[in-house]
Amino acid sequence: MKPQYQHKVITSFLLWFDNHLLKKGEAYSNKTGTLHYFDDSRLPDSYKTYSSPYKQWVTDSSIVGSENPIIPTQFMGSGRNDGIIFDFENGRIIETGGSFDTQETITGTFAVKDFNIYLTNETEEDLILENKFVQNSRYNDSENGIKPYDQVVPAIFINSETIQNVPFAFGGEDETRMSIKAVVLAEDSYSLDGVLSIFADSRHENVNIIPFSGHPATEYGDIKNGSYNYTDLINTHKGSEVPLYIEDVVVSKLSDKAQKQSIGDLKVGFIDFDVYQHRFPRL
Amino acid sequence: MSNYEYYTEIQTTLENQIPNIAKEQVRKIFRAAFQKKKNQMISEFLNHPVTKEIEMGINAKNISGTLGGGSGNLFSFIGFEEGYDPIGPIEEVLLRTDFKLIKVTKREIEFSVILPEPRDVFAVTPMPWASGRSWAKGIETGISGLGYYLLKSTKNSRSGLGIQSTRKVRKKSRFKNTQYITAFIRKYEKEFSNLEL
Repeated sequence: MKPQYQHKVITSFLLWFDNHLLKKGEAYSNKTGTLHYFDDSRLPDSYKTYSSPYKQWVTDSSIVGSENPIIPTQFMGSGRNDGIIFDFENGRIIETGGSFDTQETITGTFAVKDFNIYLTNETEEDLILENKFVQNSRYNDSENGIKPYDQVVPAIFINSETIQNVPFAFGGEDETRMSIKAVVLAEDSYSLDGVLSIFADSRHENVNIIPFSGHPATEYGDIKNGSYNYTDLINTHKGSEVPLYIEDVVVSKLSDKAQKQSIGDLKVGFIDFDVYQHRFPRL
Repeated sequence: MSNYEYYTEIQTTLENQIPNIAKEQVRKIFRAAFQKKKNQMISEFLNHPVTKEIEMGINAKNISGTLGGGSGNLFSFIGFEEGYDPIGPIEEVLLRTDFKLIKVTKREIEFSVILPEPRDVFAVTPMPWASGRSWAKGIETGISGLGYYLLKSTKNSRSGLGIQSTRKVRKKSRFKNTQYITAFIRKYEKEFSNLEL
């Protein structure tokens, strides 16, 4: 099936969400550390992976702050031209050439997001009660690499729950109303409050539509063409489609009483977005 | 002063008095029609299947069909404490519906009906486990089963109902969105604007 409206919306929303959190909250930290060899059976045998203790690394070069995020382009002198793939999603590099051997200690610097961001179809009770996440603390410096593919916390899980077209104007124009919900699993109340505060203030923001083909990531979690800048990306696609509009946003925290019955010491919050777009769905 | 001028002066004086005389009469008539419609609105709200099911508390059946009509009910699913009245605050908001006189001219008297907005209702209907969220809005847009499981995992269940479900029951209890407050208020916006005296 070719990508549909829903795919385009959720992709655009995710890119906006990531940029908004990093930009408004400077929700990242630069880390210097060792990457450890990790055998990944999902990849071709000739590929060697070296994992950092953190996922997800920052990719967006439009983010500036008191300390700009360091987006790696090479480790120990080896970069993309030497067959290195940067898997930002899993916080690791994939070596496809002959730059390193598996015994080698690779060190480097990279910016780690304070919150991993995931798309999910899981229910809130599954996310919050099943205690299935590995905690990947941003504060405790770990010496070990982290396994790829697993979802780890602190994280924000985004789910597009409902979509409804309501007649808006003559000529077949509808108001498409979407309910997008985010569950925030934070390490402490400070960072939870920070995230909730940032998104509570996002009411009436526009979210630019990025076509599915415009998504900056490759299948290996690297960025296409070696760099990604959200501001440039939206400027490239500006005007091609009416942007999404955040009609309303409500943030809330799991009550203290309920908190004690949920997953460990993690702090839980919710962000409920009502997102609208005016469009012609039948054309 | 000519007779014509005298006649015109009386006519103008009478015409100027008509709105004031009529105002109270019309206000009385309007109030009766308004009150009738308001009573109808409250009654319809209290008889809505969602309202009735929640009012029946922990022993209710799922008459709203929001949980597939099977086991469980909205009161327990949302996770309300036993004895809590979730409907009372909504009824209070609806009871605040009122009218005021806007304009009186020789030809018309205009009233304005002040009806609550859905957001006024959402503001008084907090989820028991996340007070920023509204359960009334959740009826329209979806409620996770989180409250149900938090309730279940509490030894002294806040609703007083020992929820004995397993994951299998939860699968049956997937929430089905239903029109509730927003559609209800929009309906009565139209009804009040077409109020017949």
